[in-house]
Amino acid sequence: MRRITCSLLIALGLLLPDLAAAQSSETSLFGSLQTVFFNQKSHMTFGRLQPWGGTDIREERSSFAVQQFDIFLQKPIGTSFSVFVDLEYQLNYSSEQQWGSLSLQEAWLNYAPLDEINLKVGMLYPAFNNLNEIKNRLALLPYIFRPGPYERLLSDVFMSENYLPEHAFVQLHGAIPHGDVFWDYAVFVGNAEASYISHRGSDGQPENDLNRNFEFLTGVDPTEFNMKLFGGRLGIRAREESFKAGLSLTHDYDNMRDTTQFPVIYEGMRTPLAGDAPRIRIGADCSGSIGKVRFEAEFIRVVYDHAPATRLDVDLDQVFYYGMLGYGFTDRLLLYASYQGGKDVFGVEARNETVTAGAAYSISSDITGKAQYILYRNETEHGSHVDKLSIRFVFLGFSIVL
Amino acid sequence: MKQRLRICALAAFLAFCATSGQAQTVVIVNSSIPSSTFNVKELLDLYTLNKTHWDDGSRVTVFDLKAGKAKQAFYDYIGMTEEDLQRIWLRKQFTGRARPPHAMSSEDELVAQVGKTIGGIGYASEKAVRGKKNVRIIAKLKE
Repeated sequence: MRRITCSLLIALGLLLPDLAAAQSSETSLFGSLQTVFFNQKSHMTFGRLQPWGGTDIREERSSFAVQQFDIFLQKPIGTSFSVFVDLEYQLNYSSEQQWGSLSLQEAWLNYAPLDEINLKVGMLYPAFNNLNEIKNRLALLPYIFRPGPYERLLSDVFMSENYLPEHAFVQLHGAIPHGDVFWDYAVFVGNAEASYISHRGSDGQPENDLNRNFEFLTGVDPTEFNMKLFGGRLGIRAREESFKAGLSLTHDYDNMRDTTQFPVIYEGMRTPLAGDAPRIRIGADCSGSIGKVRFEAEFIRVVYDHAPATRLDVDLDQVFYYGMLGYGFTDRLLLYASYQGGKDVFGVEARNETVTAGAAYSISSDITGKAQYILYRNETEHGSHVDKLSIRFVFLGFSIVL
Repeated sequence: MKQRLRICALAAFLAFCATSGQAQTVVIVNSSIPSSTFNVKELLDLYTLNKTHWDDGSRVTVFDLKAGKAKQAFYDYIGMTEEDLQRIWLRKQFTGRARPPHAMSSEDELVAQVGKTIGGIGYASEKAVRGKKNVRIIAKLKE
């Protein structure tokens, strides 16, 4: 720990002359907004008779919503520093009505003495596969509903924090030119996953899952340094940005201390599994365009090394993958189809797949009309029977750059 | 005499047509930028905002034109379409990596801004650059 402190002090010492020479530029204020209408038809079929005497549940609903509104602030300072802030409002946010959420998604200082070396400090989306850094930049995506764990509106349902490093706090990254390509690199460190972070308990006092004795604050990570998130990405990118691919890796811990938070479908013994489960995420991504064809694909495998789970023969590993193929019929119109699938195990195998077809039409450089059809299917095996869930969504919306 | 005048007028007209048709596009930088030549890859890196610092460490400020022949000639030269660049710029802007180029309405305005901005780079027809202070031509686009 002393070594880390010394390194930070030396780094700060190196930065101070540049800070002193820094001159402020004006702050840019911009943003994005996505407003949608959706229709959802859900159908759940249980493999055995339920207590209420049936095996089927059907439901249909429709709603309008301001899906997301982001305010960005960006300010270059001097020749080497810049600051960036992303404030995110979700789902018709209203504190009065207790709708949606307001959150600080990114707030960081970047130091870039060279294009090959960038050091970001503050809350940031770490470089992991292709979509993690832009998961809430809806104006950059043709989708209304993002692929699985990247869909922030359903991050609890898709267990996003298992699949993705959601935030980091220090990242060293850069792009090294080599012939017709750039080699992208990033290494980052961040807090443990969100469920470890201290929050306000039902009694109004700060609390966390580890130790309440010395908890005075909310929003901070009570774990020791070796419990933090560590990770990185190594990638290759065409100089004209028509192709990129990369491999990502992270190590952190899954908070399995609160056994009531285990998936409902898990029917085995819970108490022996309680603890901090070491977890490695392995990611691979490629995306780009060839002529009018646009493509994106990602793969994420989450591997657990939790001794109690091994003893009890409970498989915790998870897999997620998706692929999108699009065709630009004109400069303004992109039609695409995508397939995504995955496997959550946690003792009971649950398979899911999602098929999507959609269109994005640029009405102007700042307004894009979007439409998306989604069919989500999930099957959960309970030994003697299988539960099946299917949900069909139709989304229509507009994405606006502000 | 009349015939000689007619020939001279025709020659002048043809010369005017030839020069105006050939409007050579040039890439210019603020005179603060250390003297060097730039190849297509380096111009591509500057306009895709992958190169954000000059070799002396100063920040690059990119200027673009809203429309015109010079814009088309420059985009063709670096091998990019307007849609490609817009997509790249939006991603860089929304991830905080760089600011998109300042889009100017006219070549004269662009040349003036590059001249005023330390670390500035832009492109225009050679005619618009001729005689302007504080700017230096770093590349002439092949016709």
